Amino acid sequence: MAPAGPSLNMKPVLIGAGILALAGLGAFAAATRHAAPGLPQGARQIAVSETACEPMAMTVPAGAASFVIRNASSRPLEWEILDGVMVVAERENIAPGFTATLTERLKPGSYQITCGLLSNPRGTLTVTPTAQSEAARAAPPTAEFIGPLSEMRVRLIQAGTALERDTAALADAVAAGDLDAAKAAYGTARASWARLGTATARASDLANRMSPAAAVLAGREADPGFTGFHRIEHGLWTKATTEGLEPAARVLAADATEMKARLRDMAVDPADIAGDAARLARHIADGQARQGVNLYSGQDAAEFDAALDSIAGAAKVLAPLTTAAAPDAAKTVESRIAATRSAIAAMGASPEAEAREDVAQGFAALGQALDALNPALGLDAGAAEAGAASGPASGGGAG
Amino acid sequence: MKTTLALLGLMLPGAAFAQDATLALVGPMAEYKLYVADETQELVKDTRAFTDAVKAGDVETAKSLFAPTRLHYEKIEPVAELFSDLDVSIDSRADDHEAAEADPGFTGFHRIEHALWATGSTEGMAPFADKLMADVEDLAARIDGLTFPPQVVVGGAAVLMDEVAATKISGEEDRYSHTDLWDFRGNFDGARKIVELFRPHVKDDAFLATIDANFDKVDRTLEKYREGEGYQSYEKLTDDDRRVLAAGVNTLAEDLSTLRGRVGLD
Repeated sequence: MAPAGPSLNMKPVLIGAGILALAGLGAFAAATRHAAPGLPQGARQIAVSETACEPMAMTVPAGAASFVIRNASSRPLEWEILDGVMVVAERENIAPGFTATLTERLKPGSYQITCGLLSNPRGTLTVTPTAQSEAARAAPPTAEFIGPLSEMRVRLIQAGTALERDTAALADAVAAGDLDAAKAAYGTARASWARLGTATARASDLANRMSPAAAVLAGREADPGFTGFHRIEHGLWTKATTEGLEPAARVLAADATEMKARLRDMAVDPADIAGDAARLARHIADGQARQGVNLYSGQDAAEFDAALDSIAGAAKVLAPLTTAAAPDAAKTVESRIAATRSAIAAMGASPEAEAREDVAQGFAALGQALDALNPALGLDAGAAEAGAASGPASGGGAG
Repeated sequence: MKTTLALLGLMLPGAAFAQDATLALVGPMAEYKLYVADETQELVKDTRAFTDAVKAGDVETAKSLFAPTRLHYEKIEPVAELFSDLDVSIDSRADDHEAAEADPGFTGFHRIEHALWATGSTEGMAPFADKLMADVEDLAARIDGLTFPPQVVVGGAAVLMDEVAATKISGEEDRYSHTDLWDFRGNFDGARKIVELFRPHVKDDAFLATIDANFDKVDRTLEKYREGEGYQSYEKLTDDDRRVLAAGVNTLAEDLSTLRGRVGLD
């Protein structure tokens, strides 16, 4: 927070003598950040007195809007446009008697404006849709996806960091010969793996080493290719010992480190956010839910929950766009996430075939709901399918 | 293996957007959030130690922790101040409130700063310490859940410099403790981080060289006042050095205000 005090970089510009009474300045000055003289076309005038804004309510069309804020109070002023508690735009440090200009691109909606002291009532700003804003709502421009794609990448990198930490802890517990600790560490690491969702498929060489299922290997559990998570799980639960597992656990931890590094520069595409989430949902629905993933420990509920977290995360980063473009489709996704969450909880309580079937159907329906998002955002659904073809998540042995 | 993967990457749908400069900003945007997440974790940890000292009535320890704790907040200020309610309760100054220091709404760092330095006592500060801790934890949770707006992040470098120029160089931010130079350090570091991350997307070497030179200039001036882990009192700053800092910060604010446009976000 930084209001108050005269600005050193204010550049007073004479723009008129309309309000001479003010503070005896003789003329009032416009403080603009970069000495752009004059007023922007169609700028809205607003004055802030000791107690209120004048006017208290404004309406502007969506797009770039300019506001000329005059400080008609005796204190330095900070003027903000708020969406709930979030600051959309602000102009700080307008000295008494001075004006400042704020230009910002605004989306349709209802906003609040601050009017001086924190205890003063707030005004309202209504932004009405235009043909252009309606088009951007139905098909958001690429720049609108920078935020969601960045947030997805942050979540992936953080999940990768957790995977690195948790697989190292698993290796340490195995090395210490502590069976119970190793079992607990396995569950934790496995949830971190599931939180990576389909991103692991983009590093298929690693995924096939970190999590192959015995069923896809010629020699099954005896196959030398039986490495990674399930090899360790098989040892801990079926053989009930940590013996001989340390090398496999160390390789798994090293692979996790490599996976984390690769997550930092994976290719990104707007259609991948919903596309990857839908693919993960279908992947679980088509096989894992019914057949099981952790065949030796039987601990699948926590893993499905973590996978659902990653799907819910994708839906959340897209929500600002999807709720504007297709509110019904966004709501359907939300309700199916909730339904699948309940089905997983029921399966965790009693893991019978019927409960697994409910989970499978939950993920299948969720996948369908997610499929509706890309078309609703004007994104090419075919692009996501092309991505699916280059990754092994659709089939493959990594589970 | 990496090469193969990179080639594979070219065939992924992302390749269709390879020419689209805006999507190239996803990488630095993600790295910036990771930077903010790290600083936020430090802020939570240090705020706990600070507020614990306040509640224990340990004035000297609390005083020694005040500026280093704020440093993290100052680094991430472009994002932290997006939450208007928390910005007020964590970091507002007395003159934002009708009754100034006596106003019940005057809370957060500067309320406790006032107690530690102006009255030299932590008496009655426990509720303010608890509130500050809760607010900082709330801030961390909200930052974690926030999709960072690209315009705010890239524009944040100029905002930080603007704030220093407009409302901090006068020494009014930490008016009771005079630890302003620590805050400057945080603001400079936060702004420079943004420049470093988005530098590859600015196609103007002369512009970048000017920015670097001005950052170096304000750094050199600030470093003259280094004392141990931190900085001397703001009162020690000479008029000449204040002018040098003001000039450098003003130029940086002006120049950095073009950053959004230069990376294609206006």
